[in-house]
Amino acid sequence: MRTSRVLVIARREYMERIRSKAFWISTVALPVLLLAMGVVPALVAARSGSAKTVVVVDETGVLGSSISDALAGGSNEFERRNSFSVLLEPPAADRDAQRAALDERVLREELDAWLWIARDDLAAGEVEYHSESVSSFITQSVLERRLTDVVRRDRLARFDLGDAEIDELLGSIDLRTVRVSAEGSKEEGADAGFFLAYVLFFLLYLMLMIYGQQVMTGVLEEKTSRIVEVIVSTARPRQLMMGKLLGVCGIALSQLLIWLLTIGILTAPNIVSALSWFPDGVDIPQLRPTLIVHFISLFVLGFFVYATFYAAIGAAFNNVQEAQQFASFAVFLLVAPMLFFFLVINDPDSTLAVVTSLIPPFTPTIMLLRLAVKTPPAWQITLGYVLAVGFALFMVSLAGRIYRVGILMHGKKPTVQELWRWIRYP
Amino acid sequence: MQPNIELDGIGKNYGDFVAVENLSLAIPRGSIFGLLGPNGAGKSTTIRMLMDIIAPDRGEVRLFGRRRQRADQDRIGYLPEERGLYQKMRVHDLLLFLGELHGLRRAETRPKIDQWLERFGLVDRAKSKIEELSKGMQQKIQLIGTILHQPDILVLDEPFSGLDPINQGLFKDVLEEYRSRGRTVLFSTHIMEQAEKLCDHICLISKGRAILVGELAQIKRELSGNSYRLVSDGECDRIATVDGVQSVRDEGGAFRIFLADSAEGPEVLARLIQVVTVHEFASEEPDLETIFIRAVQDAH
Repeated sequence: MRTSRVLVIARREYMERIRSKAFWISTVALPVLLLAMGVVPALVAARSGSAKTVVVVDETGVLGSSISDALAGGSNEFERRNSFSVLLEPPAADRDAQRAALDERVLREELDAWLWIARDDLAAGEVEYHSESVSSFITQSVLERRLTDVVRRDRLARFDLGDAEIDELLGSIDLRTVRVSAEGSKEEGADAGFFLAYVLFFLLYLMLMIYGQQVMTGVLEEKTSRIVEVIVSTARPRQLMMGKLLGVCGIALSQLLIWLLTIGILTAPNIVSALSWFPDGVDIPQLRPTLIVHFISLFVLGFFVYATFYAAIGAAFNNVQEAQQFASFAVFLLVAPMLFFFLVINDPDSTLAVVTSLIPPFTPTIMLLRLAVKTPPAWQITLGYVLAVGFALFMVSLAGRIYRVGILMHGKKPTVQELWRWIRYP
Repeated sequence: MQPNIELDGIGKNYGDFVAVENLSLAIPRGSIFGLLGPNGAGKSTTIRMLMDIIAPDRGEVRLFGRRRQRADQDRIGYLPEERGLYQKMRVHDLLLFLGELHGLRRAETRPKIDQWLERFGLVDRAKSKIEELSKGMQQKIQLIGTILHQPDILVLDEPFSGLDPINQGLFKDVLEEYRSRGRTVLFSTHIMEQAEKLCDHICLISKGRAILVGELAQIKRELSGNSYRLVSDGECDRIATVDGVQSVRDEGGAFRIFLADSAEGPEVLARLIQVVTVHEFASEEPDLETIFIRAVQDAH
């Protein structure tokens, strides 16, 4: 019994790649990149903000000191990081001159901002804020929250309420989130659920993109180095394509396995507690086994939808530059689901979420997102899978038709009409 | 004897361009067959049809006495004109892959690889990456990859191009060994000297058509039968009048005379001596190059 040619080709592909440095570098780099994309902006935003110097001009003459106290301190880590050093200034006789002088100081960067608390404005629920940048939304939202707090306390104090009563009145409510699923209800932080969905979604997207590109450059290498001529003298072009796809898919799955094992080790309880650098209040989300299975199956499906496309254009064109122009079409389809990311996460059963998760090119990423947030009805999962499998098979056939002609064509860059003719060849 | 390779009236068009037209060949076992022709004559197209890389528009390819089958792939070795190997792969791994692709088991392939590397003086390169080798070495690796599975038919497209004389000799030895084992070699070249030294049979193609097919020795015999070289003081016109001389060509310093089919060399010489001074008169086998040029001129 001879080993099937597809397997011989797939094994070569797998062995060459698993031995390459590139594989191990990307195995380490991809999670780092993902963390950088996901966690770092949040951490940076949370930790950013040094004490800002703010002048407060209080026309009311009563709020000044409590505002100054409220802005200076903070009850938790995040609040303390976004503290302000407040300089109280009484309103001068010539208000216009005073305002001009304050603007001047902002420009000289002596001040980060100044606030003007006018009685009329306050009645209308407004306080004037002057700064060089008016888009520092974290700073502004902190200011708004604290000013609101001070003003509310002041208004409530007029009803002869004591501090304790005011505290009680102003006390806020936090949601204690419990995730309901067929596997049982479980308390889980909302942040953690979001974090998990976010990471899985981007990981799938990155893997589909990266491994699709690898298929494309691999096919181009075979074509331009002319090794393909030797291989197709013994194997059918379609077998070569399938072998390559299987080999690269195997590599991707190996990489996933490495990551899963790593996560398994890192999330062992005693190790998690050792990760003290992890910000307070962020639970490490639990990866449910069914979600892992879905992730793997959706990756394989997505791979055969996108990598086939990449294989076809790799075969059709003569170099990476030519192929890249066409590859952007696949990138577009891969990126499109990001537009729906927040909509789907917020309401995973909305019509938009359901429809997009059933459109085959979007199924892998959107269905995964839905699965990560809330288990969709079984019929939708099944339908999504059936449609995606059908579409993947269609793509394999379509790509195979372009591939078998393109891989042996050299010279002129084919036009879309020519590609269409290749597809229709018997 | 049953021919190993038969092409029966095959043809291929690329759009309006006729690359190969009505080409028929029969190549017996135990022979080296040369597919000769100028660049762009259709040699590579013919070979690619034989290899089932492209399908002929007309005609049929038969191997081992029957219509070409997919399973025949394992019995053929093919060296394409455009050479290519996986540049990042190590020599031994690459050869193992090529052997396996042709149906060999890994275990049986390993010692064969070592033997061939030994023979080609590349043993110390087994662990090198292809990209670290010189062009000539890469070509030797590719030839090993072609013959590793000991195919019954060896098809080589311009195997000697880019090789130095020593390696050309090495390649020649391999081909001759193949012939002596009763296998069949088909190779293409546009360099007639190599074909002349190696081939038993040839096919000259030009503009996609076969213009001369047959056993090389016989072709030479037929074409040399009435061609003589004459060195003489005489003039072209006078020589042409001699009985039995069909035509004379002045080649500067010597004449080439072609005798009528019925005429015999010695008789014509006897008559020539009476008419002109003869310094030299010799039967001449034309070399392949001459045959080739004449055939191409006659055909078009």
